[in-house]
Amino acid sequence: MLSRSSRLLCRRYSQAVNFRTNELSPTQHNDDQIGLFYTLKPEVCKQLFQHGGFPKSFMKQTKTFTETTLMVRRPAIDLMNCIKASDLNKPVIRYVLYGEKGTGKSLTMAHLLHYAHEEGFLIVHVPWVSEWLRRVPRHKEMSNSQSHEGFVDLPLDAATWLLHFKNQNQTLLKNGELNINKEYVWSKREKTEAGAPLSELVEHGINRVKYACDVIDALIYEIKQLSESRKCKTFVAIDGFNSFFYPLTRLSTPTKKTVKPEEVTLTSSFKELTKNNWTNGVILLTADQLAVPDDHQESYLPKYLLRKEGFDHLDPFVPVEVRRYTDKEYLSCASYYRDRLWLRGPPEIDTELKFTSACNPFTFMEQCAPL
Amino acid sequence: MSQVINFSLRRLLPISRTAYICVKNTFAFNARSQSSKVTSKSKVDDVLNNLTDWETLSKKKKISKAMKAYLERAREHDEFMKKQHLEFNIGMRHLANMMGEDPETFTQKDVDRAIEYLFPSGIYDPAARPLMKPPEEVFPARKAAEFDEAGRPHHFLFYTGKPNFFKLLFDAVDNIQQLYNFEDKVIRKKATPDPNGSVNLGNSHWLTKEQLEQTLVEKITDLEYDNFKVVMERLVSLPYSYRHKDFIEKYRKPLAAQRFALEIPKPSYDDEGRAFVTTYECLRKKARGDVTIKSPGTGKIIINGQDITYFDDIQSREQVLFPLIFTGMQNVVDVICNIEGGGPSGQSGAIRWGIAWGLRSFVDKEMLQKMQVAGLLTRDHRRRERKKPGQPGARKKPTWKRR
Repeated sequence: MLSRSSRLLCRRYSQAVNFRTNELSPTQHNDDQIGLFYTLKPEVCKQLFQHGGFPKSFMKQTKTFTETTLMVRRPAIDLMNCIKASDLNKPVIRYVLYGEKGTGKSLTMAHLLHYAHEEGFLIVHVPWVSEWLRRVPRHKEMSNSQSHEGFVDLPLDAATWLLHFKNQNQTLLKNGELNINKEYVWSKREKTEAGAPLSELVEHGINRVKYACDVIDALIYEIKQLSESRKCKTFVAIDGFNSFFYPLTRLSTPTKKTVKPEEVTLTSSFKELTKNNWTNGVILLTADQLAVPDDHQESYLPKYLLRKEGFDHLDPFVPVEVRRYTDKEYLSCASYYRDRLWLRGPPEIDTELKFTSACNPFTFMEQCAPL
Repeated sequence: MSQVINFSLRRLLPISRTAYICVKNTFAFNARSQSSKVTSKSKVDDVLNNLTDWETLSKKKKISKAMKAYLERAREHDEFMKKQHLEFNIGMRHLANMMGEDPETFTQKDVDRAIEYLFPSGIYDPAARPLMKPPEEVFPARKAAEFDEAGRPHHFLFYTGKPNFFKLLFDAVDNIQQLYNFEDKVIRKKATPDPNGSVNLGNSHWLTKEQLEQTLVEKITDLEYDNFKVVMERLVSLPYSYRHKDFIEKYRKPLAAQRFALEIPKPSYDDEGRAFVTTYECLRKKARGDVTIKSPGTGKIIINGQDITYFDDIQSREQVLFPLIFTGMQNVVDVICNIEGGGPSGQSGAIRWGIAWGLRSFVDKEMLQKMQVAGLLTRDHRRRERKKPGQPGARKKPTWKRR
């Protein structure tokens, strides 16, 4: 630790710009810390983001830099203030993050997840919707749904997601009095009684993959009930929400018929969740250009990406734009990269890179890579 | 050869011993003034003209065939040139009449314009298009008669084969010797050199080989050209070279940057009072566009209404930014451009040239020269080369087989 600080001091190009902050808890973040980086503790990372949540390139960056740091930016602070100020007795407010490719929507969501975790919300987090609908390795395990006629199930995906849900909410599930209040009969021999803890439901879903999607449906219903009855506050975060509304998926049934998203059970579950007929919760969605195929990536605005049905479904929502770096943020990021030795070279290339990457965070990171 | 002459003389003249000796002296005299081109007979005639023998007097003066042919050719060429001149002048007057202008004040520039108007040509090479120029420019220069009727050359270095070139070197060396003497004199008198005198070589360079060949009307080899440069450098390096400034200036040409300084446009002012310069006709490959640079600015770049993200790849963005970063004006000016046609590489190249050309008005002379050296101000005229029949591409040939 000492040697590291002395190295920091004698680094040739270290600038006097301060880019770190010592506030590790997002609850304490406020306007003063915009543009500064804060480090996430490894255990928190593991708990929250083991099955996704960070974009792939960011995961690689954490490995290279041997630490997970996020920059505190204006949209995140605004959202946190909104959440703090909102009245949880009213129906849930839906926030939609939008912006150009690579401006930091997923990372903002990650920041807010951390905040929610600190504040003790029950987290329902879908890391990347397109993973289910568009990422098809050779053969996707699909089965026809039993409870809903004509619908298609994705059992393995559902099971992984339940595992993720369990990991994120370990503490709450263990000590909470979160009990279901309906009985669910899965088959002749299996059923979950009313009054059983939520964790049991989740376990069942993980163990019996066949029923995983139905478990998710049940779970969502229960969570809504629990929130209504003030037993817990919920934080729903879905990344890439607009791919639920895109007319095509890459899935196809064994009879070679393409499947539309409306025919997948998961879509209906999460659409149910994002309706605003419950209270005591926060919903955060992103509308991302990368979630749809390249032909339809003309614009990054939510109305275009969500299409008519999505827009109607989400109708009263709060759009939050995630912009490119401002000058101050850019400077801070550049000094952070220099500190991590990701960016080397004379100080003049900073201005050049600023223009070449047009202050877009993702392109900036990419362009520093060969330097 | 002298034996033959001796022999023939003996036969020609009934001479005694004394006459023989006298003849020998004349031969010694002959040996000094060489005559290898012309046959011995005419030289002998010359000598014998001094002797007033009636045989020799009745002999006609004989000119060799080569000499005759040469003189004939020279005369023909002169006549030809005169005729061409006449035709050219008459033609110019006719042309002026055709264009409705005054024949008296019809200059060469007007002639060029008229020809371009009357005979529009789409040919690529300017030398292949129709032209009407004074005969000196059209026909290559020839040397005037280098030797007189008797075959005696005018130039004292004629027999080197390149008299003008060697005369030039001779003059240079002569000047060098003079400067050495002058320097010696100054040192002897213990005087100081004149500090004002110096030859300015910063903005000019020696004539190229082709230009030297044109001035001297003679072909030069590379070795000889290098020699020439060495000698001139030597001359220039001497401390009192300013004394032969005219001689040196004759063989130096000003550098291209001087020409640019004359053509820089003045910025105009728009509604908000900002100075701006627009460059139209920015072309590269198939891209065409125009670029406007506004002077007190913040470094915004707008291409076809979009940010610099109009270009997806780094190379195109770098091309657009390079002139601004090179001159250090990335935060000082705004750039607004419209381009169409071509692809990203062509468009970015066109914008880069447009920005550099526009920045000339806002930049000082030294930076201007640097820009020119960096190649920012040259229009890239490369276009896609045509694919030829029988080959897969423009240059690619089918597999070469030895047999």
